[in-house]
Amino acid sequence: MAADRTDLSVTSPLREVLESREVELNLGPQHPATHGVYRAIVRLDGEKVVGIKSVIGYLHRGIEKWAEYRTWTQATPIFDRLDYLGAVLNCHGYVGAVEKILGVEVPKKAQYIRVVLDELQRIASHLLWLGTHGLDVGAQSVLFYAVREREAIMDLFEAMLGQRLLPNAYPIGGVRFDFPRGWVPVCRKFLAEFPKKVDDYETLLTTNRIWVQRTKGVGVVSAEEAVALSLSGPTLRGSGVNFDVRKAIPYSSYEDFDFEVPLGQNGDVYDRYLCRIREMRQSVRIIQQALDGMPEGELKGKVGRIIRPPMGEAYFTVEAAKGQLGYYIVSDGAEKPWRVHVRAPSFINLQGMETMCKGGLIADVVAVIGSIDIVLGEVDR
Amino acid sequence: MNFDWMTAHVGMPLLKILILLVPVFTVVAYMVWFERRVLGFFQSRLGPNRVGPLGLIQPIADGLKLLLKEDVVPANARPFLFKIAPIFSFFPAFVGFAVITWALPWVTASGKTHGFVVADVDLGLLVILALSSMGIFGILLGGWSSGSKYPLFGSLRSASQMLAYEVPLTFSVLSVFLLAGSFRMSDIVAAQQKLGWYFLFPGIVAFGVYLVAAVAETNRTPFDLPEGESEIIGFHTEYSGMRFAFYFVAEYANVVLTSVLAAALFLGGYDIPFVDDAALYAAHPALTSILGVTAYAVKGAVFAFFFVWIRATWPRYRYDQLLRIGWFVLFPLALFNLLLAALFRLWLLR
Repeated sequence: MAADRTDLSVTSPLREVLESREVELNLGPQHPATHGVYRAIVRLDGEKVVGIKSVIGYLHRGIEKWAEYRTWTQATPIFDRLDYLGAVLNCHGYVGAVEKILGVEVPKKAQYIRVVLDELQRIASHLLWLGTHGLDVGAQSVLFYAVREREAIMDLFEAMLGQRLLPNAYPIGGVRFDFPRGWVPVCRKFLAEFPKKVDDYETLLTTNRIWVQRTKGVGVVSAEEAVALSLSGPTLRGSGVNFDVRKAIPYSSYEDFDFEVPLGQNGDVYDRYLCRIREMRQSVRIIQQALDGMPEGELKGKVGRIIRPPMGEAYFTVEAAKGQLGYYIVSDGAEKPWRVHVRAPSFINLQGMETMCKGGLIADVVAVIGSIDIVLGEVDR
Repeated sequence: MNFDWMTAHVGMPLLKILILLVPVFTVVAYMVWFERRVLGFFQSRLGPNRVGPLGLIQPIADGLKLLLKEDVVPANARPFLFKIAPIFSFFPAFVGFAVITWALPWVTASGKTHGFVVADVDLGLLVILALSSMGIFGILLGGWSSGSKYPLFGSLRSASQMLAYEVPLTFSVLSVFLLAGSFRMSDIVAAQQKLGWYFLFPGIVAFGVYLVAAVAETNRTPFDLPEGESEIIGFHTEYSGMRFAFYFVAEYANVVLTSVLAAALFLGGYDIPFVDDAALYAAHPALTSILGVTAYAVKGAVFAFFFVWIRATWPRYRYDQLLRIGWFVLFPLALFNLLLAALFRLWLLR
């Protein structure tokens, strides 16, 4: 597709007569396509991107520091606010890290319930990504269809956890509730219908000539570059690197389930798009297996009311919707964390911006930002 | 300079302009409403339905809101150009309606004809093309005089887009001219009535080229690059209040104008389908006019719907892709089609 990009620069002797200079364009922090308060300073030659610099920090709330002033339990809900579109997954990461340092065994049933909620959250996050990504490239209808389905998931969360966006899903050691009465059939109905809806999105985009032209060969990052930049999640897998935390370092019984990790080939915007679309289908498979094989048993492991982990450190990662989400926690044996560090996938994936955008056009920058799927709450923390 | 002369050259045209402007303004205002409602239904929502029955008062509410907004002129702008630029877009969009013939002319008993047209210019089509090129000046000036980078990119895009799409548009219209033998709007419709076919069939390629070029000409999805909402916000980034409304209304007026024009060029305009218009006219002149205008409106509405439909379905092209389509696909196609039309004219329409 390299020949697909016409060279727009003036190559005639005119160039020497007419003075031309590069323009610096401030893309953001208030810009409809930067998904929040992300700011990119783009140097442009005409519409061609010569250089790009990311400026972040507009949404810094000191979440990691905040956690140090709360007890281990009280700190849980604040991590929902990292990637506020994947709150359940954030919660799982933190809770998992504390369980690891405590050495608590989470009951099998709780693990399965966590898998169900995690994957629902992954679908919800990908749906919002799909809508906004489509909107960035100019396809506005997809947003409304995607939000319609996301709404069903939000309703499921509300019915089970009492909250829609930031449900503070898991306590340390397990889950709070079993599925409420009537919840599982509603969920199954959603799962049965959802793949057809994904087909609908695909008819609008996957084979759409304009969509393909706008995304194929755009924002390319090779497998080596992706690994060197420490990208993760669909942004990494779009380049064909097979790394998914759920498979590589299984947690919460992911080894019990049969699912595939969708991989791209070219590492362009289109492949990252396809990866996420296919991931949604895989998530449906995982949830169905988890609901079918739901074991009986306790909901919560043996955790005291006051949590005082032994002195030491622990690192626990989950596969969040945006990539590998890691929590590094240090305990000095007190009731409060001594340090919590978050390995935020959006933040690290954002490093790929320069590799992906250079040589493209402004419109490509917008497509690339969409394809990295950043959430500024997580980037700035 | 007697009274009769005044009536014929000042009074009647003014009256006609007034009679035409009111419905045109209404239609343009309701085009916005139509688009929002139809987009709503495409996107599993309702669209504006709160203000008045079915949201029908919405355009008035929107207009009032924009009228009451503060008129901001940025510090970096060139105030004079910044202020007059929207007018450059606004007026050509509406003046174009003047040369469109809306129904069969009435012939009175004394042999005088009264055309349903403000100015029955024999170069009507060319006037519309010239005016639509003028509209671009408003966008260029507005973007450039804003003193801001985003609008500048918008107008740069607009300039190259105009160059790339004006030419195919003109060529596709030229082939209609070849088929009809006249630039006068009423002659073009009359030629289609005489031929018995709408020009859609001999001019199917021209029709396709016209549709694509018209979408680009009116800066709408998938060619809405000068606006490019999610990329460069648009040439009117710095505009607010009524000046923004001028651009906004001009865009929709252009949509209506190109729809109406397409209906006249390719779908026979006010020709009533499946009916012998001349015979009907001899029997019921008034009925023919009413049915003719209705048929015309329906044909135009089909195109207007088409515009909205595209917007609901397709993403936006990229700048270089847009130019490539314009120069490497549409332009040769339009040229080829001109040849076809000429041959058709030579052998079949003699």
